[in-house]
Amino acid sequence: MKDRQSRPCVELRKVVKRFPGVIAVDHVDLEIEQGKIFTLLGPSGCGKTTALRLVAGLETLDEGDILIDGKVMNDIPPHKRNCSTVFQSLALFPHMTVEGNIAYGLERRKTPKNEIRKAVGEMLALVGLVGMEKRRPSQLSGGQRQRVAVARSLVLKPRVLLLDEPLAALDRKLRKEMQVELKRIQGEVGITFLYVTHDQKEALAISDTIAVMRAGKLEQAGAPDEIYNTPRTKFIADFMGATNILSGKVIATGDGKLQLETDSGLQVIALHNEDKGSNEITGISVHPELIELLPSDAGLQGGNRFKGKVIEMIYQGDFIETKISLRQTGELLTAHFPSRLDMVTRLSPGEEVLIHWNPKSSNTLLA
Amino acid sequence: MQMVKFLSKQVHLPYVGPVGLWVIIFVIIPMGVAVYLSFVQAGSHGQIIHEFTIGNYRALFTGERLMILARSLQYAVVTNIVCLLIGYPLAYWIVRHGGRFKFLLLGLMIVPSWISQLLRLYALRRLGGDPGIINSILLGLGVISSPLKMLFNPTAVVFGLIYTWLPFMMLPIYASLEGLDESLLEASVDLGATPLNRFFTVTLPLTKGGVFAGTILCLIPAFGDWLSPLILGGDRVLMAGSLVRLYFINVGNFPLGAAVAVILTAAVLLMIYIFIKLGGEEAVERLV
Amino acid sequence: MKTGKIADIIQRLGVILVYIVLWMPIIILVVMSFSNHAIGLRWQGFTLQWYVQVLNTSKAMEALKNSLFISAVATVVSTIGGTLGAYGLYKYKFRGRGALRMSVLLPITIPYVVTAATLLLFFTQVVRIPLGYISIIIAHITFSAPLAVFIVLGRMARVDWTLEEASADLGAGKLTTWRKVIAPVLLPAILISAALIFPWSFNDFTITYFVAGVGTMTLPIYIFSLMQYSMTPVVINAISSIFVVLPIIGLLLVTFLQRKETA
Repeated sequence: MKDRQSRPCVELRKVVKRFPGVIAVDHVDLEIEQGKIFTLLGPSGCGKTTALRLVAGLETLDEGDILIDGKVMNDIPPHKRNCSTVFQSLALFPHMTVEGNIAYGLERRKTPKNEIRKAVGEMLALVGLVGMEKRRPSQLSGGQRQRVAVARSLVLKPRVLLLDEPLAALDRKLRKEMQVELKRIQGEVGITFLYVTHDQKEALAISDTIAVMRAGKLEQAGAPDEIYNTPRTKFIADFMGATNILSGKVIATGDGKLQLETDSGLQVIALHNEDKGSNEITGISVHPELIELLPSDAGLQGGNRFKGKVIEMIYQGDFIETKISLRQTGELLTAHFPSRLDMVTRLSPGEEVLIHWNPKSSNTLLA
Repeated sequence: MQMVKFLSKQVHLPYVGPVGLWVIIFVIIPMGVAVYLSFVQAGSHGQIIHEFTIGNYRALFTGERLMILARSLQYAVVTNIVCLLIGYPLAYWIVRHGGRFKFLLLGLMIVPSWISQLLRLYALRRLGGDPGIINSILLGLGVISSPLKMLFNPTAVVFGLIYTWLPFMMLPIYASLEGLDESLLEASVDLGATPLNRFFTVTLPLTKGGVFAGTILCLIPAFGDWLSPLILGGDRVLMAGSLVRLYFINVGNFPLGAAVAVILTAAVLLMIYIFIKLGGEEAVERLV
Repeated sequence: MKTGKIADIIQRLGVILVYIVLWMPIIILVVMSFSNHAIGLRWQGFTLQWYVQVLNTSKAMEALKNSLFISAVATVVSTIGGTLGAYGLYKYKFRGRGALRMSVLLPITIPYVVTAATLLLFFTQVVRIPLGYISIIIAHITFSAPLAVFIVLGRMARVDWTLEEASADLGAGKLTTWRKVIAPVLLPAILISAALIFPWSFNDFTITYFVAGVGTMTLPIYIFSLMQYSMTPVVINAISSIFVVLPIIGLLLVTFLQRKETA
């Protein structure tokens, strides 16, 4: 008999959901730990929103089981599951005040009026909207509306809070602020969050666990640094910004390292992890910020050193996105060189450069 | 010179000028004439005696005539309520379950409103009259032994009113239901509302505007309707509109008729005012 | 969920019932117009004789011509005037704007009898306009223009007005801009207005009755007179069928066009 702490809060077991002509969720297995922020990340159409709606009960699944706290929820309607959804469009009731919106769920449960007032007051304090009770949604800013939506769902103390791309409509600065806010609120309340987004930076900032989805299938689930530094597939690597992807085969191993020959003929060195068989490896990925610029007289010894020509430089503030064409094969690599270095600021398109990355900095891909 | 300068600045005039002028000439002024006439009396040969008197109003606020006016309001309100009770669920069903047939069902509701009220009521009379189609069928089948008297009573008139004005109640309600944000309905269910809860706390409040518009398009015309009382009531049932017709066309007593018209207008404007206060300014914004 | 299914069926039946009650009288009217039996209600055989009779009745044909003429004029004037009015109301702020908006609403918010009666007063007591074509057309325009104003006004809110600015910016005069940019964009609303106004005007009885005077007869007035004095209801049925069939054809046409557009 597992105790509450060790049993996952939400489980998806081989869940399938089909729509006419497409399998939205394709045999997905997930375990969401209690009290953590779990993010479904992926491009549009990957099935993440459908998965969320299945947990909410707003869609019915075709195969598999969804469990909340160990209980099967397949046939239970949304208002009887102990979860609450923050919709992408927020869906705040335009004809009710902030107070009315937050109190809505409690009123449906026939909670006594004084308890409602107390709970609403606590919520307003938690999300930082004290004094706004009597306003209508149309009189609030985007960020404020966001908070009302979250408050409205949290006040019901659900086991799981489901958030469907809640920050998608906000501008960059506001989004960053709200990410911090949401994490803070979750920390204070301790409720499990199931979060859906297509923005990998947001997922990295907010999540305790990230699950990357693609075409209805779960590709990889793990801690943010795992997904970022050691993505298992080309798709995930690319999605997380490790845009330098070199396909190839392992031709030699030894000494904790392996040598990979890319399809284009480059020889690269990477670290050899035991849990990845050398014949399963299909390539490597390197994050742009991990590619270093060497002085041009530094020579080619030492592995992973390549000569190339600068094709394009785009100023991005703290780094300069530089596209380099390798002399040996002509393929393009993208590097983010720190703009504070003189060596970097003296560069211009057309110049010859010597680049390098540490074998530790690359990640081996399985697919 | 100054006039020309002034006029040339009024860019809006060529656009709103025609409509504005028309409204003044053919709506406001006639209304004013009616108000004036309501305070004078007609002489024995039908000419107007230009002396101020409230005799017309006194005549209308007594006895039989007052009853007619009051009953008109009653019938109109009943018509409105029934149209609402039929129209709202109907519109609701079509929006939620209509699917491919939405447009067709909508069309089937609109088309009768394109057919002359005269004809539609005439058809009802042929159906329910004595002799009439329903009676023929029932007599022929032996279900009844003597014909039913379905016409020439208030029920028939009200039925005719409902029959005529139902589409006008249903269409604005349909429009406001269609425009309802689906995610609001989902949110309410997600927050624990039963379907009944959801209807009363979200759907109904947000479709107030449609109900308001439907009421304006149903109650007011029904109030002034004189065709249904004529055709289905055989003029044995008189409504306010019948009085107007009576005094203007049959009897030729314009001042008295004008008084009825003024009373009707005042009553309607009062009703609209009350509705706006009840329904809120948002409903008006949505219309205008 | 058995109760769900039953409730569903009951709802469907309810909906069907409403439509049957709504259409049954009309359908019977049309069907009977083909019946061979002059007065009674029994079906004695299919015939077109009543339609032939109608076509041969000069009064009926004249009434039809009058109706078509009056409705056409009223529709055109109302639609154009209404569109211009809507444009002015939407784009310009001027003194009396709110008042104008409210008063344009007036003819359709107060009972039809009142507007009709006051117009009759106006024609007979104040201006001495003869009761006939002119008075009827004026009355119809008074009732339809507000409708056009509001339909077009509704559409105006959803239009991209930068198109108009672009046109002016590119050197087009106001008239040209209207012809090439504004009118085409407003066309759907204008057509809908016309599509609503014409049948309304064609079918109107209660208002026309007040202002028609003695000499002019529109089709509804003709039918009314038949109803009062004639003994051959089947002829009325024949005329009525025209009234019924035309809107249905109109609806089918619109449905067809809509399907084509979305396809």
